[in-house]
Amino acid sequence: MSPFNLAAINFVWLPILPLVVVTVAAIGVLLAGVRVDDGESEGLGLLTLASLAGAFVFTLGILGQYGVAFAGAISVDSFSAFFELVILIAAMFTVMMSLDYAAENRIPGAEYYSLLLFSVLGMMLMAAAGDLIVIFLGLETMSITVYVLAGIMRRNAKSNEAAIKYFLLGAFSTGFLLYGIALVYGATGTIKLGPIHDALASGAMGSNPLLLAGIGMMVIGFGFKVAAVPFHMWAPDVYEGAPTPVTAFMAVGVKLAAFAAFIRVFMVDFASVGAHWQTVLWVIAALTMTGGNLIAVVQTNIKRMLAYSAIAHAGYLLLGMTAGVRSGPAILYYLLGYAFTNLGAFSVVIALERRGEVGNQISDFRGLAARQPLLAGAMTIFLLSLAGVPPLAGFVGKFYIFSEALHQGYVGLVIVAVLNSVISAYYYFYVLVAMYMQEGGVEVERLSARPALVAAIGLAALATILIGVYPQPYIASATNAFYSASGAAGVRSAALDP
Amino acid sequence: MTVEFPALALILLFPALGVLFNLFLGPRYGRGAVNVVGPGVMFVAFGVATWAFLTLLAMPPGGALAVHLWGWIEAGRFHTEFGLRLDALSGVMVMIVTGVGALIHLYSVGYMAHDEDFARFFTYMNLFAFSMLILILADNLLMMFVGWEGVGLCSYLLIAFWYTNPQYAYNGRKAFIVNRIGDAGFLLGIFTIVATLGAHGVWTLDFVELRQHADLLGGAAAIAAGFLLFIGATGKSAQIPLYVWLPDAMVGPTPVSALIHAATMVTAGVYMIARLGFIYTMAPAALNLVATIGGLTALFAATIALVQPDIKKVLAYSTISQLGYMFLGVGSGAYASGIFHLMTHAFFKGLLFLCAGSVIHALGGEQDMNKMGGLRRKLPITFWTMFIATLAIAAVPPFSGYFSKDLILEAAYDSGHSWLWFLGVITAGLTSFYMFRLIFMTFFGESRVDSEREHHLHESPAVMTIPLIVLAILATVGGWVNLPGGLLWGNAFVRFLTPAVGAFQPVVEANPTSLSLVASVASALGIVLAYLFYLRLPGIPMLLAWRLKDPYNLLLNKYYVDQLYNFFVTRPLFWVSNNVLNRAIDSFAIDGAADGAGLAVQTSGQIARRAETGNVQHYAFVYLLGALGIVAYYLFLVTR
Amino acid sequence: MNGGLLTALIFLPLIGALFILMQSEERAIWNSAFIFSLLPLALSFYVLAEFNPHVAEYQLVEQYDWIPSFGITYHIGIDGISLFLVLLTTILITLSILYSGGGDIEERPREFCFFMLVLETGLLGALLSVDLFLFYIFWEVMLIPMYFLIGIWGHGRRIYAAIKFVLFTMVGSLLMLVAILYLVYSAHEHFNRTSFDLPLLYQVPLTVTEGRWLFAAFALAFAIKVPMWPVHTWLPDAHTNAPTAGSVILAGVMLKMGTYGFLRFAIPLFPTVAVEATALFMALAIIGIIYGALVAMMQPDLKRLIAYSSVSHLGFVMLGIFALNPEGIDGAIYQMLNHGVSTGGLFLLVGMLYMRRHTREISEFGGLWKRVPVYAAIFMVVMLSSIGLPGLNGFVGEFLIMLGAFLRIRLATVFAVVGVILGALYMLWTYERVMFGPITRAVNETISDLTGREIAVMVPVIALMLFMGLFPRPLIRRIEPSVTAMLARANVAQARLELERQPNRLAALSAARQTPNREPEMAAATR
Repeated sequence: MSPFNLAAINFVWLPILPLVVVTVAAIGVLLAGVRVDDGESEGLGLLTLASLAGAFVFTLGILGQYGVAFAGAISVDSFSAFFELVILIAAMFTVMMSLDYAAENRIPGAEYYSLLLFSVLGMMLMAAAGDLIVIFLGLETMSITVYVLAGIMRRNAKSNEAAIKYFLLGAFSTGFLLYGIALVYGATGTIKLGPIHDALASGAMGSNPLLLAGIGMMVIGFGFKVAAVPFHMWAPDVYEGAPTPVTAFMAVGVKLAAFAAFIRVFMVDFASVGAHWQTVLWVIAALTMTGGNLIAVVQTNIKRMLAYSAIAHAGYLLLGMTAGVRSGPAILYYLLGYAFTNLGAFSVVIALERRGEVGNQISDFRGLAARQPLLAGAMTIFLLSLAGVPPLAGFVGKFYIFSEALHQGYVGLVIVAVLNSVISAYYYFYVLVAMYMQEGGVEVERLSARPALVAAIGLAALATILIGVYPQPYIASATNAFYSASGAAGVRSAALDP
Repeated sequence: MTVEFPALALILLFPALGVLFNLFLGPRYGRGAVNVVGPGVMFVAFGVATWAFLTLLAMPPGGALAVHLWGWIEAGRFHTEFGLRLDALSGVMVMIVTGVGALIHLYSVGYMAHDEDFARFFTYMNLFAFSMLILILADNLLMMFVGWEGVGLCSYLLIAFWYTNPQYAYNGRKAFIVNRIGDAGFLLGIFTIVATLGAHGVWTLDFVELRQHADLLGGAAAIAAGFLLFIGATGKSAQIPLYVWLPDAMVGPTPVSALIHAATMVTAGVYMIARLGFIYTMAPAALNLVATIGGLTALFAATIALVQPDIKKVLAYSTISQLGYMFLGVGSGAYASGIFHLMTHAFFKGLLFLCAGSVIHALGGEQDMNKMGGLRRKLPITFWTMFIATLAIAAVPPFSGYFSKDLILEAAYDSGHSWLWFLGVITAGLTSFYMFRLIFMTFFGESRVDSEREHHLHESPAVMTIPLIVLAILATVGGWVNLPGGLLWGNAFVRFLTPAVGAFQPVVEANPTSLSLVASVASALGIVLAYLFYLRLPGIPMLLAWRLKDPYNLLLNKYYVDQLYNFFVTRPLFWVSNNVLNRAIDSFAIDGAADGAGLAVQTSGQIARRAETGNVQHYAFVYLLGALGIVAYYLFLVTR
Repeated sequence: MNGGLLTALIFLPLIGALFILMQSEERAIWNSAFIFSLLPLALSFYVLAEFNPHVAEYQLVEQYDWIPSFGITYHIGIDGISLFLVLLTTILITLSILYSGGGDIEERPREFCFFMLVLETGLLGALLSVDLFLFYIFWEVMLIPMYFLIGIWGHGRRIYAAIKFVLFTMVGSLLMLVAILYLVYSAHEHFNRTSFDLPLLYQVPLTVTEGRWLFAAFALAFAIKVPMWPVHTWLPDAHTNAPTAGSVILAGVMLKMGTYGFLRFAIPLFPTVAVEATALFMALAIIGIIYGALVAMMQPDLKRLIAYSSVSHLGFVMLGIFALNPEGIDGAIYQMLNHGVSTGGLFLLVGMLYMRRHTREISEFGGLWKRVPVYAAIFMVVMLSSIGLPGLNGFVGEFLIMLGAFLRIRLATVFAVVGVILGALYMLWTYERVMFGPITRAVNETISDLTGREIAVMVPVIALMLFMGLFPRPLIRRIEPSVTAMLARANVAQARLELERQPNRLAALSAARQTPNREPEMAAATR
């Protein structure tokens, strides 16, 4: 299943080769960029892109290998590979969006791109983590770099505000997560995921207070990263203030990484004690969907609107997690579609944006269809996919999660989700109203001069359609990826025979 | 026995061709062409009809001609065809419709000579003839309904022919709607029959088959069907309570009034009941209802006719009254006599209207009899023909009306409805009174015509007078086809019809001569009174009108029935629709609920948004609340 | 499997739509749009020719794997229930495009034609899907283009109307999606294989409660689309503000998706519940008939009036469907076609008037006949068809529906005929106010009669009305076998119910024999 087999090379670092590549690239970009003027950062961007592509290829290379590396610190499986690949894709799209954006907004290229790469490293670590400490390491690497990225537009007050808010609350939640990890360690006597899984699966734990407290704390910690209500308050401000490519990167990359760890820990290793956390997630999921959608309805700034929509989508994903193991593949598939759709949507926002603020209002989209039919067409596809209109990726994802949840008997929660989708249709369609049915709005300048951005939009649109119209291969790989997660083997057999 | 006779289709085809020609080519080829084609197709149809009728006469009694056209509706177990059938009953009707129809078409050429919409007029007229012939020739109930509604449509179009006058347009719609109400009953009748027979596995509406399976329709079903179908009849044939449209229909061109609202369409109800006699015979209750309604309508309408000043209004109410007679006849089970009166009535009432039209034509549109008088010298032909018609309707022997009306009254008496017979007799008196009142006011006495109309008074052209003369002859001799029993070819007409409609079973045997004597005395009395009131002592009517003001106004305003309907039906309907349904329920309640839901989402969004203060402390606070919630939950989980 | 005839039929318009996106010159756009609407039209008639009237099951079937892991297949086919709705769709789309090219749509013709053709794909797909998932996809797909048609080319509160239309429909369809998933899940439980294939799902045994809930979800989705009282209020807004072509397709075809849904899914999937709910739905249908008519009578706006008249007419269709006997359902399907033709025609006519006067207020007109005799004549015929004058198409449908209802619940028909009267009342009154009387507005003095193109649009409509009024047999012959087959399921359910109601088996059976719609084979015998 991999184009070329690196397994032949017996090399202990092989499992983390992609991470290594990213790390090297990050340092390289930092050094190379020392003397580069903020205005001409494209070169660095391309370099970043290339290294990410390289990492992508290597990841493909180790696809299909299973086991653990570094004494269980790294789990080698399609699960990590799947997330690493999607994260890399997200990163590449982010870079494509950034090329002109960074130069235009005079963002210091070297710092920007290397921070980007470092955070990618963190994310990939979270995806590939084999024990709780590595998860924490990855999370910190990712978070700290993203805090900086959010505030990288030094002269922009909103950007700085975003960064500081994100940092404060982030630090806050990191505490919770770490404490949770410690408690779980206290309960199970190990930080390695595999052993934790076996320990819990043995049923010896019962409702050990330490364990329960640990689970609770970790829910809070992850809940913050995936921006679940009530730990979501930071998201809108940060999404609005951060440079749009960074927003996109947060909305997709951070979410992917957070969910990767969240899923691996809870749906795989905590699966056997699902009773202890599913109720909590049930409530959080309902709150997240409803809260996100309700507030999104009244937004006027597209970035804030997309922030709340991202919250709502986290709600749907949490619904999947609540439903338990069987909906794992559905969640992975959903994330895949969600990644492309959101990246596309943010790319369009960037296309409209000029000098920070301008172009971020929904009203700025007015009459876009008349001026830029293709751009509007692409945005239409993204919005419809987010709204869950067939046959786009967003729909199949929802469909998949809902059906699995129903199979697990979560009818009530699914109906909540469905009604939420109706609400969401309102604000997504309202952007269509602006684009197609109203006059005014901002001019889109020199789109032709931004090939990378156009390419990003085009690819995202294509992927959104393709993943929706012909989902089979992605469903297959999502399924394969989820059940390959170390320790999930037993879960899988359990799940498959009804 | 039934003979396949494809030529029957031609009787329908020609009027249809007339419609197409007048509709599409009429405006292009102009008045000349239309004047030829319009009446022409009717005469040809009449020719074909005569041919068919003669063929029928040549056959032994109970024979029929038929042609199957094509299968129409076939769904589930229900199926019905388009097929034509000409037996004695439909034969007589076809002869009347095509014959009288052709004459009136001819007359219209003259009457519409100054109207630029002649093409549209003849389109409608031909379309009417076409629909009426479908109604008559249909070999099954559903196809009959096609014609039934078709004639209603044409009546609507022709009443509203001069559509620029809103009142005329309204009257047209009124006619259609009232007819629709009747038709609804008709439909329900059809459903009752289908369902009842269907329950026995018989799915048909074909008259012949219905007759065969009539026994399955016994009892309640037959009564229900008969009753419902009769509702249709009251609409189409202007009986109580659905007669209100007919007087208003008089705003149409007079030939229309003659053809549709006197001679043919309005008699469709009578025809239908005669056609379905085998059902009514099994439902005495329904039959009694028919007779009663008929008798009452006859009297009721006649009283109104007594005082109407408008010449056409008088004739309109007299039509309603005469239709009442017919229903009295068929309601007494004497279907043949009902049809007999239908025929004679077609002659003399058609004639009366045409004459009235000729008068109106001569007076340039004047219809108020108080503005007429002394016209008999100016319009001799019109006068004499109208006089003959009046004698006929007043049942003066040997004019046609005498024979038919006698037969009906006799039937009413012999069927045990002596009180209905009595109503009939009174009506006979009233009839001759108001008819002679009309004659005297129009043609005798001093001329009350406005001077400027006075000097271009003229007898109508030949194209109008010839039909008058022909009809006058028919109105005279038309009744002789059924001389009283034992006299020459006595009862020929009834005997001819009996196989088709069944024989009349009298309950009591009364002496026909004495009955007829009483009736004749009544009508004679009416004539004498009219003579006294309107020629000898013209003061009396005024005196009476002044003395008996209230009854007089009651009659003059047609018992205020229109106002009652308006007040108790129309107004409430519109009020409820607008204020309750449209405003309160639809706009406010239902749609309000829908928009309200949307509003609720918006507002809750606004409220939830308030939490987004942008203030990190607040965020942290909410965050902590959440955290505490979770911790609390787990504490509960542990301590449980 | 056969040469992908239906696939071609579904996706030709889509190809056309994409092709049109490449056009820039306006004439070229309209011409290619017209041609690409003619192709599926021709194809649909070829399908009609290929269609075997004696087969009840799906014909011209195609089935390929699509999403194996969900057991979803690309499974399409056509049967008597969908056959003529397909033809109706292709015909009306062609006419609408022909009409809109004549000056009704002036701005952004490219997007307009694009959306029209996408819409056609959606409609045809929904009609031809045999796989429930596939159906749901097309069901949602047809929503989007209509949303744009209303929102972009509409008048007045077009945006409000468009959003309202989408949200109303979505509430229903998403709940239906849940029901679908639940159904598939139960199927999985029972056959141990996941499948969205309709024939299989027909077999799923459900508990009474399950059945009721699922039926409710399906019924709600379809009832909103129909629309049945009281979930109809999106219709007047959508109709009134939509462009003419939008209203034509909305009324002509899209509403039928609701009634079609009942026939294809709600009833055959849950026959027992459907039989239980008969009285309820007949009652709602009757309320719709009378209520719709009375409210229509009070509308000052022509399009709004026609919209409410649709509520009334669709009430008849629902009445026929829930008669649950061949007469009623044949009539219902026939009435769907009638309503498509006559109401489509009415909307076209109103559109032509709007193009000339830029108002739809009835009070703005009056005495038009003198100025526009041809228009008036055509309007008259269309109106008569809409009020069900015998000899025109409307009557056949209404008659069969009322007959079917009469055979089921007599009282229902008694109310229905009231609707027939009211229908005539408001239609004639409208006609009178627009065409008759003196010309009250000076502007109407100069109003021009129909153009050749407009007549060309209306002639097929009139022709259809006459043909369908006089020769319903060739249509009903093809419709009926599938209906009878579908009813067989409902009848079994009914028999079961009656057995439950009356423990005495013999009594139940005799009762079953008396209820007329009990013997499909006898239906065949009488022919």
